[in-house]
Amino acid sequence: MTKLKQAVDSVLRALCIVLFAILVLLVCWQIFTRLVLNDPSVWSEEASRYTFIWLSLIGISVATGERADVAIDLLVKKLPVAAQRWVTAVAYLSAISFATVFMVYGGYLNAKLSWNQANPVLPVTQGVLYLAVPVAGVLLTFYLCYHFVRIVLAKEDATAPEEMQVEL
Amino acid sequence: GSGGGNDAGQQSATVLKVAFNQNATHPQAVAITELSEKLKEATDGAYELELFPDEQLGSQAETLELVQSGAVDMAIVAGPLLEAFNPDFSVLNLPYIYDSPEHQMSVLNDPEITGDLYDSLTESEQISVIGAYHGGVRNVYTTDGPVETPADLAGQKIRVISSDTNVSMVGLMGGVGTPMPQGDVYTAIQSGVLNGAENNELIFADLGHSEIAAFYSYTKHLMIPDYLVANPAVLEAFSEDQRADLESLFTESVDSELASFDAKVTEAKKKAEDSGATFHEADVDAFREAVAPLLEEKISNDVTTAIFDKIEAAR
Amino acid sequence: MTDALTVATMLIGGMVILLAIGAPISISVALPSAISMVYVLGFEDGALASAQRMFNGVNSFALLAIPFFILAGVIMNNGGIAIRLINLAKVLVGRTPAPLVQTGVLASMLFGAVSGSAVATAAAVGSTTAPIQAKQGYDPAFSAAANVAAAPSGLLIPPSNTLIIYALASGGTSVGALFLAGYVPGILWGLTCMTVVYFYARRHPELKAERWTRPREALIIFLQALPALSLIVVVIGGIVSGFFTPTEGSAVAVVYALLLSFIYRSIKVKDLPGILMNAARTSSVVIFLIGVSTIMSFVMSFTRIPALLADSLFGWTDSKVVVLLIMMIVLLIIGIPLDATPAILIFTPIFLPIAVSYGVDPVHFGIMMVFNLSIAVISPPSAPVLFVGAQVANVDIAPVVAKLLPFMGVLVILLLIITFVPELSLWLPRLLGFL
Ligand code: NA
Ligand code: NA
Repeated sequence: MTKLKQAVDSVLRALCIVLFAILVLLVCWQIFTRLVLNDPSVWSEEASRYTFIWLSLIGISVATGERADVAIDLLVKKLPVAAQRWVTAVAYLSAISFATVFMVYGGYLNAKLSWNQANPVLPVTQGVLYLAVPVAGVLLTFYLCYHFVRIVLAKEDATAPEEMQVEL
Repeated sequence: GSGGGNDAGQQSATVLKVAFNQNATHPQAVAITELSEKLKEATDGAYELELFPDEQLGSQAETLELVQSGAVDMAIVAGPLLEAFNPDFSVLNLPYIYDSPEHQMSVLNDPEITGDLYDSLTESEQISVIGAYHGGVRNVYTTDGPVETPADLAGQKIRVISSDTNVSMVGLMGGVGTPMPQGDVYTAIQSGVLNGAENNELIFADLGHSEIAAFYSYTKHLMIPDYLVANPAVLEAFSEDQRADLESLFTESVDSELASFDAKVTEAKKKAEDSGATFHEADVDAFREAVAPLLEEKISNDVTTAIFDKIEAAR
Repeated sequence: MTDALTVATMLIGGMVILLAIGAPISISVALPSAISMVYVLGFEDGALASAQRMFNGVNSFALLAIPFFILAGVIMNNGGIAIRLINLAKVLVGRTPAPLVQTGVLASMLFGAVSGSAVATAAAVGSTTAPIQAKQGYDPAFSAAANVAAAPSGLLIPPSNTLIIYALASGGTSVGALFLAGYVPGILWGLTCMTVVYFYARRHPELKAERWTRPREALIIFLQALPALSLIVVVIGGIVSGFFTPTEGSAVAVVYALLLSFIYRSIKVKDLPGILMNAARTSSVVIFLIGVSTIMSFVMSFTRIPALLADSLFGWTDSKVVVLLIMMIVLLIIGIPLDATPAILIFTPIFLPIAVSYGVDPVHFGIMMVFNLSIAVISPPSAPVLFVGAQVANVDIAPVVAKLLPFMGVLVILLLIITFVPELSLWLPRLLGFL
């Protein structure tokens, strides 16, 4: 399980880095075509928005895998260690239910609805672009289950170490 | 939960939620409010409409999807959005195919001409097109002087809605079509990154573009319709009589919307002139000729050709 | 019970419970909102509409500025830019009492003017100044408190991710106008902090002023900081003059910060993947939160909660002053448990239409709101800037909070002034033709 997680981690991290680099290049290209080439690009804005959404949704999966998403654990930390485990397990189950029901299933329904809907400028359909939500839902579910199991089995602490959390 | 409109024969009022992207004083919003009152009366209180203006339920593209899924009952959406589901809709958004707003409304709301096209989305896409409202005539406005002929537009960067068709259109008209989100247009014109934009008089005056790109030239190149769409299940729940009421009341509302849009245009022109804008006639025939290749390219199959011919015949 | 009441109860109750059991803030917003969607729309439609809102809520070119400004901030943190700005600040305020604390405050304003984030500012400035301050006998808790108090000035002084989020939530208020409007209040925020430090220093004569920096030395320090400062001219100047959109400006900021760091030789190409991943992680957390918050704002509009809330909060008064005061108090209270981002996304659609109906300009309202919530990011228990500020200074949170209270008191008074003197916000954007 941990091996699989490490493999998924490294693939997703590489993906994030590549998507982010592409994003910078796309927007720079947009400025360049308008101000220098005098022939403004039609597709770069649309392409950069969808790159950004895919980047963000894969990024939140990676952050969840690292337990870096921001939570307020002041109250939980006041509980005895055993209780901390159970309360955190409930928090994880809430997150898992959101990821599965709303991101995976709801996202699947949304992608299906728009599967044939053409995008005005990009060569893919709207439904394909919408897959970002269910795909991120699957990744999130994987990471959430991984930590859920380890917390219940006392293989990791109930509350994430503070330095892990992202600074908002 | 609140009424979804799916319970046929139910006695209490069904309130249909209508999503709209502009404010509640826009002629289309006023038309919907009037339509609601009349519909309530005609159906003895069985149906009324509840307007959600100002993108409260999301942008037009989002609310269209919510209509498809049934989460929202109705929405007013711009014509180009329907092209994504059936490319043949593009024929109705081409430059210079309508003579006047009246001509536009008469052909778009004539089932003989557009009925089959509208019906094409009902089954496969879960979109029922109830009809079309007028959304203004788009003209070019620029910073450096009136635009009379295509030559006057040479090299000028004109902001357009992000679509290939619009970029090619302005290209054929002589300028450089530049897609940009509306929120950035003002400063881009101010700094000279854009030389102008194209839109109706309402936007021209309301967004203050009249202050910085004061030359509004009547190229009259585009009339993009806005459609009132509904989820098919909503309409199926109507009885035959109620359906007939809705249709006739909608037709009435199209006429009153057209009249109040006209009044708004007069108001907007006055406001723009007060801030220093001037209005100019342009050589419409020259521009129409210039964009002819675009029409040739886009009117490419039997369906679009047939619709185009009927629109021409109704001039 | 009406839908509005039921949904409001589910939203508030669900959020409180989930936050209390330590669920991520995003999930605490997302799950109750999505369940409310199912309640009003049925299971399939509710699930579908939730996923759709989450996607479309962030499908905005304006929002792209957030990852870019975060990336630019990370590059600057790694790129030796903070230390150059701190040196410059020291030259400018070295003659005042308690010079090292004043230096930190001014450096926060300068760093805030080139980065979009208060946390990045607190981390960058605090981690450099805290060790020197401790070595010279300054009270570490007070130094940290001053650093924490000053950091949010960067949320008002552009560029500012928080103002971009407000622009989105308010339905497209001009980012350029908001950026310009933030300058005066942001600078006043910093000056207010300097005033508090000044009175503190008078009671601590042992914190002596430093000598003047020799002109030649000062010139060198200024020249070293100049490339970093010129980022303001390139990015904000480019946005304000319309050469590029705010999003494009943020991409220019990335490229510019990267060039600077290569020139300063503080970043190597092999560091780039790590820097990109760092920024991607932070921005994803923010963007996901924005995405799920739009589920909440949708379900609230759908059930007309804003109207209900507006009625119960403001229905009994016609006074603009009273209405604005109530909004201020609500935002101050809500800022205690909530972070600025969800608070803006939730309360803008509720408050803005009411404020506008009383003749408040949306740009002024945005500054008010962001100023208000900037106090929230330093007020515990949910106070990201406070945590980072205490952490980099290596002190406990409790003593820092005690020293922070006078700063917060004065900032609340400044908030009142910003609220009731719109000219402070609107003067600059008007001057440059944005309003
Ligand atoms: Na800033
Ligand atoms: Na707080």
